[in-house]
Amino acid sequence: MSDARVLGPTEPAVSVPLSRREFLYYLWGASMAVFLAGSAGASLWFMLPRFREGEFGGVFTVPVGDAPPADSGPKEYAAGRFWLVNVGPKTVGDPRQPHDYKMQAGVKALYKVCVHLGCIYRWTPTNDRFECPCHGSKYLKSGTRIDGPARRNLDVFIMEIIDAQGKVLARTEPGMGSNEGTALAIPAGAVSFRIDTGRRIQGAPNSKPGGGI
Amino acid sequence: MKWQIALGAFATVALVGMLGFVAAGEQARMASFTAAYQARQIEAGAQLFEDNCRSCHGPQGKGIESVAPAINAADLFNGQRLQAISFPGTVEDYVRASIAAGRPKPSAGTNYPQRMPTWAQRNGGPLRDDQIDSLVAYIMNWKDRALAEAGGPAPGPSGPTFGTDISAALPAGDASRGKTLAEGPLGCANCHLLAPVGPAWLAQPGQQGIGTRAETRIKQPDYTGKATDATRYLVESIVQSNAYVAQGFQPNVMPQNFGQRMSAQDVADVIAYLLTLR
Amino acid sequence: MALFRLHIPILDDVKAKGLRKAVADKADELVTRVTAGMNTSAVRSMLRDDPPGRPNPRLTPHAEGFWLHMKPTYYHSLVDGLYPTFRLGWLSTFFFAVEIITGVFLMFYYTPSPLVAYENMLNLLGNVPLGRLMRDIHRLGAELMVIVVALHMLRTYITGSYKKPRQFTWATGIILLGVTLFLSFSGYLLPWDQLSLWAVTIGASMAEAVPPEVVGRNVNLLVRGAPEFGANGLLRFYLLHVIALPLAGILALGVHYYKVIHHGHSLPPGAEEVGEDTATRIPMDRRVYFMPTILTRELWYVLGLTALIVGASVFFFHAPTLEPHANPLVTPLHTTAPWYFLWLQGMLKFGDKVIWGVVVPTILGGLLLVLPYVEVGPSRRYGDRRIGLSAAAVAVVVLAVLSYMGTPHYAVTTSPDQEAVATLLPQTEPGPLRLARWDALNLGTYDASRWQSAPNDTLRGLLSTFYLKLTEVQSKDRSDVQGLMVIEDWQTGVKKVTLRVLWKNIADGSPGEFSQSVYLDKASNYAQGE
Repeated sequence: MSDARVLGPTEPAVSVPLSRREFLYYLWGASMAVFLAGSAGASLWFMLPRFREGEFGGVFTVPVGDAPPADSGPKEYAAGRFWLVNVGPKTVGDPRQPHDYKMQAGVKALYKVCVHLGCIYRWTPTNDRFECPCHGSKYLKSGTRIDGPARRNLDVFIMEIIDAQGKVLARTEPGMGSNEGTALAIPAGAVSFRIDTGRRIQGAPNSKPGGGI
Repeated sequence: MKWQIALGAFATVALVGMLGFVAAGEQARMASFTAAYQARQIEAGAQLFEDNCRSCHGPQGKGIESVAPAINAADLFNGQRLQAISFPGTVEDYVRASIAAGRPKPSAGTNYPQRMPTWAQRNGGPLRDDQIDSLVAYIMNWKDRALAEAGGPAPGPSGPTFGTDISAALPAGDASRGKTLAEGPLGCANCHLLAPVGPAWLAQPGQQGIGTRAETRIKQPDYTGKATDATRYLVESIVQSNAYVAQGFQPNVMPQNFGQRMSAQDVADVIAYLLTLR
Repeated sequence: MALFRLHIPILDDVKAKGLRKAVADKADELVTRVTAGMNTSAVRSMLRDDPPGRPNPRLTPHAEGFWLHMKPTYYHSLVDGLYPTFRLGWLSTFFFAVEIITGVFLMFYYTPSPLVAYENMLNLLGNVPLGRLMRDIHRLGAELMVIVVALHMLRTYITGSYKKPRQFTWATGIILLGVTLFLSFSGYLLPWDQLSLWAVTIGASMAEAVPPEVVGRNVNLLVRGAPEFGANGLLRFYLLHVIALPLAGILALGVHYYKVIHHGHSLPPGAEEVGEDTATRIPMDRRVYFMPTILTRELWYVLGLTALIVGASVFFFHAPTLEPHANPLVTPLHTTAPWYFLWLQGMLKFGDKVIWGVVVPTILGGLLLVLPYVEVGPSRRYGDRRIGLSAAAVAVVVLAVLSYMGTPHYAVTTSPDQEAVATLLPQTEPGPLRLARWDALNLGTYDASRWQSAPNDTLRGLLSTFYLKLTEVQSKDRSDVQGLMVIEDWQTGVKKVTLRVLWKNIADGSPGEFSQSVYLDKASNYAQGE
């Protein structure tokens, strides 16, 4: 409509003072903008789901004795959506392991969802690695990506190891942005792992064929 | 424009006709869909049974002594088991309830120290309701065969049973009847299925058939049985399976009652069949 | 008793004019009211296609009635033919209407809860008369709507119809394209089978990639209602599908069509210069009136297309076979996004999901939205727009290539043994083994390499397919590959079929094995298309 109308030569605008009435309208407009922004925030808060303890998104407790033995296959915890792996010396020294990542023996809780597009990867014992059926990402037991379209290592959940009194003996370090979650060696007196499925540490970047930064 | 009017009218008539056509076949289609989905439920149930139930209830639900009772059994489907515990509902209800809620307490007079766990998600188990329905459909599908087999586990020439004496005389064997017995009524293949190509007694990559294996077994230094030739070794393995347990297996896994279930002719036929596998 | 005398006008009319004339007049009045301004003789004259006379009574319904006030009274004869519009905009609207109507019917039997959604689908297909037809039409209409809307955009681009003064029409069209894609995508989840869950999971995980991490995590929570799809996610997608997106679509469609009529349909490139507004200046001899020409055509289109889409759903097209119940814990092999998002899945194979899954698509969408404000070339003629048209051709080719790359055929390397088994037993469709005749699956053990000696054609076909794929398992670290199919009698009317792949790892001589079993019931009838 206005595109079609031919505009006349612009006349010099006459400066009109801001009247009180006009100013009040602007003030009202500004307050409506604030209200709308507030409503938007309230709607988002309304729609954001919350989680209780014990369901996925909350904390899971696993007795230390239930962890798989070092270097054996990983153990799946379907309700908590993680694999408990015990990285032993053989896994650390695996020749397929890229050297860009600091490896440490111990226990890790790997989020069981592929970091590429959210499929559920599987443990393939014949190949001794995790394989994702959707796009073919491959990960070692340590969670390190070695092949496929994923661009980082597997995510881990923050884990604490506690003793009989509930004292925290060791804790996965979140290491924001710098490091992936570390494997935890089981200290003496440890009774159980507490895995917080609401907080996950992203794997370190990994994009080279065969794995590596 | 006239052809548009004509085509429009034709399309309308065609539409009515097609809807009529669909409507006419709709009852049959719905029935066939329902039947197909019941069948697919049985398929899903079979997979669930293998994944979750087989380790205790045994292959084909035949039960494992002292672990879990047979489900593929006549007394379940003919109602005796329900009567024994005064269960008022149908067999299907009983099966569904037992899967969903487990068995807190064994039936009187049975020897099953382990408790059936609760499987339904609403009871804290892993299975969704539709999965339990599939399992029930699969289990109920055993009914016909279980009731048919009720007459006796090893139909065949009736007569005196063979017993456990491995040196007893054997009549001439019929290998093809032996094959039928081994794969069918005797239920050998239910357990002996570890080989990749089918029943374990067949020749497989890296291993010869049981006929040849029997000859070499008796010559092994760890052989503890009394047999001196392949035939007697096989007889021993069937009726006195604890006499020698092959490496890697446990004693008492194989039922000890085959001598009481088979006639001399049955034994001869099965052995004739096994000896053909070189 | 004058106080209680009833005044019944028709009686007065009968008294004055006689019964027959009074009733005829009343009927004529009724027709005039229903048509918002055309009496019986005007309607009959229109149906006979007589010259309308002056003043033209066929214009009154456009002025008086609600529905026709949206339609122009006449069109330019240059847009009356198939070219240049190909009726694609009209078709998009038609399919939108089909989707709304069939969608409302489907809602009668659907509850958006993971506990019952799948059961609802089984009920719809097995216990609702015309339930399958309704689902098939809804699905076919959705696929066609995506195609037609995309072609509509392509056509508008090719004829340069997005140029001044129709820039804003284009922008609303892009919004409608987005609404169409997301309507289709959100509907994908609702059957709650494995296919729908995983196709949508792949698409929705893009939301999680939005940087920075804290935003991505919360966007993901908002979309799925939980870290993963479940009751909340299904409900959210249902609400998007049946309320939010249709509402947005209807609003955007209103604005879009208003702008189309306001500026007039754009004429072919040679007949109209950039900046011209055709709505108000169609010469008398170029006018094609809505009544009766366009009205007749649109009516015939509606019925002809309805007949076609119903016919296709009855005889050829069926919505995909319902797969097993959705299981968030098991990803089927070869899962893909819906076909219209395959290009996105293909781009993701380039690498980083933030760049290829979020940044690039956002930039592309933004570019499309502002295209008419940026590309302000002065001509709509094809000869003057060689670069623009070549760009469109390149874009179409690139989209096709990317879509191919999005399929599992490209760069998804599962172990070849699993691939070999999946040729007979795919996890995203029934596949040859389930479709094979049950009676032809003779009990026994078959070696794939000796497929010629199998007892019948069905088995020979299956085994040779298997054998062909097995040759790929043979590689520099695997030898002695053997494929076996074991068919066992399992239960009354149930057979167990096991596919086994055996090989030797050359490195250490150790044997390798992969096997998968399926149970086939005599009556499961995968061939019926559901």
